[in-house]
Parts: sequence; C-alpha cells; structure tokens
Amino acid sequence: MIQFQQVSKRYPGGFDAVKNLSFEIQTGELVFLAGHSGAGKSTLLKLIAGIEKPSSGAVLVNNQNVSRLGRKALPYVRRHLGLIFQDHKILYDRSVYDNVRLPLDIVGFDGREVKRRVLAALDKVGLSGKEKLNPVALSGGEQQRLCIARAVVHRPAILLADEPTANLDRDYAHDILELFKSFHQVGVTLVISAHDETLMADYGRRILRLKHGEFTA
Amino acid sequence: MKHWIRLNALALQRTVAAMVRHPLNHGLNLLVIAIAAAFPFGFYLLLSSVAAVTAQLPVEPQISVFLKPAAGSAEIGGIKELLAQDERVANARFVAKDEALKDLQAKVGSDDLLAGLTENPLPDAFLVTTRSDASAAALDALKTELAGRPGVDEVQLDSAWAQRLERLLALGRGLLEVIVVLLAVALALITGNAIRMQILTRRDEIEVAKLIGATDAFIRRPFMYAAAVQGLIGGLLACGIVVTALYWLNPAVTELASAYGQRFALHLPGPLEIGAVCLVTTLLNLVGAWLAVWRHLRRFF
Repeated sequence: MIQFQQVSKRYPGGFDAVKNLSFEIQTGELVFLAGHSGAGKSTLLKLIAGIEKPSSGAVLVNNQNVSRLGRKALPYVRRHLGLIFQDHKILYDRSVYDNVRLPLDIVGFDGREVKRRVLAALDKVGLSGKEKLNPVALSGGEQQRLCIARAVVHRPAILLADEPTANLDRDYAHDILELFKSFHQVGVTLVISAHDETLMADYGRRILRLKHGEFTA
Repeated sequence: MKHWIRLNALALQRTVAAMVRHPLNHGLNLLVIAIAAAFPFGFYLLLSSVAAVTAQLPVEPQISVFLKPAAGSAEIGGIKELLAQDERVANARFVAKDEALKDLQAKVGSDDLLAGLTENPLPDAFLVTTRSDASAAALDALKTELAGRPGVDEVQLDSAWAQRLERLLALGRGLLEVIVVLLAVALALITGNAIRMQILTRRDEIEVAKLIGATDAFIRRPFMYAAAVQGLIGGLLACGIVVTALYWLNPAVTELASAYGQRFALHLPGPLEIGAVCLVTTLLNLVGAWLAVWRHLRRFF
C-alpha cells in the first residue's frame, strides 16, 4: 500500500529530515511511528501525502509514485487519504458540520449524501449533537475528534495521523487510539505518529522508530 | 458531469452569499470597476457621436477662387488651363457670375433678391476640388500661386477646418485606444488585487482544501465566479454612469449645437454596446482573478 524506496528529504538550508528510508506498509496494516520531536515523523507522513517531495528516492502509494505526480494528478491521490494534522487545521469561521463536510464538497457529493455521511462521521467520533457549534466551543479532545471525523468522512483507504494523542490526557488518548483501532478493524490502513511510546505498547502493533531521520531498532 | 454542475452551483451560491454578507467591500470594488470602465466607454460614445456628424462633411478641401469683376476671358482661360494641368487639383469648375446668382436665388427661393439689385454683385469663380492626398503645405502653396494670378481677387481654402476636425478625430481615436489599453490593464490589476484580498481572508480554507485533495480548479472556481459576477455588475454600473452623464450633458450640448444652427446630440449606448462593455469587464475580471489565484496556488503542491 505504502512503499518507501531509499527516500531522503533535505530541507533548504541543509537539514536532513529523513535519511535513506526504505520500508513497506501492507494494506490494512496499523503502524505506529515513534520518535522524539524533530526525528522526522511529520516529514515522513507529509512525504506519503505528497505535501513534501523527497530529495531522492521514491514514495509509492497504491503503486503510484507520489513524488513524480504533477499538480493535476496529486489531488486525486490525496482523496484516498485521510489526514489528521498535528496543528489540527480546523476552520474556525464555520460550524463543526461545515468543517467535516469539506472533503465531500471537494469530491462533489450531493446534499443528502453529504448530510448522511457527515452525521455518521460525527456520530462515529462521539460528537453527535454538536454539529451546529463553532469549533471554538469544543474542548481539546473534541477538536481532535472533529479532525478525525473530517479525515474519515469520505471513507479513505489510508489514514495518516500526526501526533493525534499529543496534549491529551492518558485516558482520552486511549479513547482516540481505540477509535483508530475500530477503523483498522474495517480494513483501513493506518499510520499513526506519537512521541509517547508507552501508549503504543498496549496495542502490540508494528512500531517504526525514528531518530534523526533514520530508523532505529 | 453531475458532480461538476453541482460543484459549480455550490461555488456560485457561495459567491453570491459572500457578496451579500460583505456589501460594502464588494460595493466599493464594483464602483472602482464601473468608473474605470465608464471612462473609455463615455469617451468612445462622445467620439462616435462627433464622428457621425463629420461623416457628412466634405473632407476633401475645396478652394474657391473669386475673380475680379474686370477679369476678361483671356485671364479666365489662363487660370482654367493652369488648374487643368496642376496635379494637386482633382477637379475644377468655372462658375460664371450669372450662374452663381441663379444658384443663390434658388437657395433663397425668392425673386425679391434680384428685383432689388441693379447689377449682379457676385464675381465669377472657380470651384477647385483638390486631391485628398495633397498636403496642407501643398494646398497653401497652390492658394498663394492662384492668388498671384492676374484677374484673381480672392482665394479661399474651404473645408480646411473639416480636414482638421477629421485629423482631430483620428487623434481622439488613437487616444481612445491608449486609454482603453491602460484602463483594461488597470481593471485586471484592480480585480486581481480585490480577489487577492478575498484569497487572503480564506487562505486557511484554501490550504486545508489543497491538503485534503482539492484540485486547483476547485479552489479557483469560487473566485472566478466572484470575478465574473463583479465584472458583469461593474459593466452594467459603468453603462449606468455613462447613460446618466449623457442625459445630464445632452441638453447643454444640444443648446450649444443649436446656437451654431446645428441639430446635434450625444447618442446613448445601444444594447449591443452595453453588452460589449459588460463582456469586456467580465473577461478582464476573469483574467485578473485567474492571475491572482494562480499566484497564490503556486506555493502549494
């Protein structure tokens, strides 16, 4: 599903975010990405989504070389992805409902289908009844759930979550991870990054550990 | 196709909603567009009104050569021969004084004129039409030459003013072209800037949309609709400004013309001209918006 072939990313100024990474993630797999801040976790996820282009090597998603795709093709690859951003990227000028519907508008779903899917997604993450609120009125944990609802509303095959449990207390973080597990159970491929490895240990899944842009054992 | 129509309907709906939500911002933009478009359009109507009048004027300069009463047939024959050979002359006609008097009488339409006269006060004359490509200097030279001939009393260069007016009009048309080009560029830049402002207020939305799979066309669409609606309304407003101005000016223009014994009024724009103005402002707005969105989207993958 996701394949890295000797991928390096050097940012302008000479900082190497990831160095010569090669790995593969199978369809339906749940993989954790561990490492301290600045280890290259975010960069790795951005490379999968085509938000960053590798300096060398190839990133394959669904057997398509994301790093070689042009402006016109890239959006269609991204529609197979659900992205949960570290900085949330919630739009505060509109309701919870309108935040979640954005991916559906981009694809062009009709009104009734949009409503059905948005309400289903909000129900799934436990935000039923809050669709009319402004996101400002939500707690930190609820905002994270809003991001998850937006990431899954168009039913992507791959879910990429950058530090979804950061700034959440342990119980809440477990709730979120349970939510991800339920997506995993219906066949979604997940890549979840976190700096707190103790959370992941409970799930017994594959963990990719990054340090200074390289894998460690 | 169904998706595409829905996406466009949604974009248009949101565009109109945004305009209704921020009437002042959009209103000011519209006014700027309207005034920028009204200038060349009004100038164009002014020119075409004047051009319609000048089209009826003789543009080829005519020279009237009036002879002295004492001029004999030898002198008349000499001038006739000179005119026939001169290459600046297209056509020369001798008008004897009896003929001229008959003409005058026919124009006035009364026998009283003749009754009060003991003798014909009109001189013999030549009416000379010069070639239209003769330069003003050549005509002056011809005039001086004719005036120096024996038997010639006076030489008048008629219609020179018509030619000057024609040149003035040509200058006006050139000026109009310059103004149109400059204001067209200004209009595109103004819209581009207005759209850039709208982009900046929505940059978070654009970023998120880009990150989750929006195409450039999806991002561009609402701004293009905003620009098109703005251009169309701006064009209509421009026509409104011009029509109002013409209505306001026309009584004074008509009065001025009638003081010169002329019937003249600035003509109001027709539906075709209004349509053309709206089309041009809409297209220029689209160009401006496209450039603004393109500049903004360049920074994203």
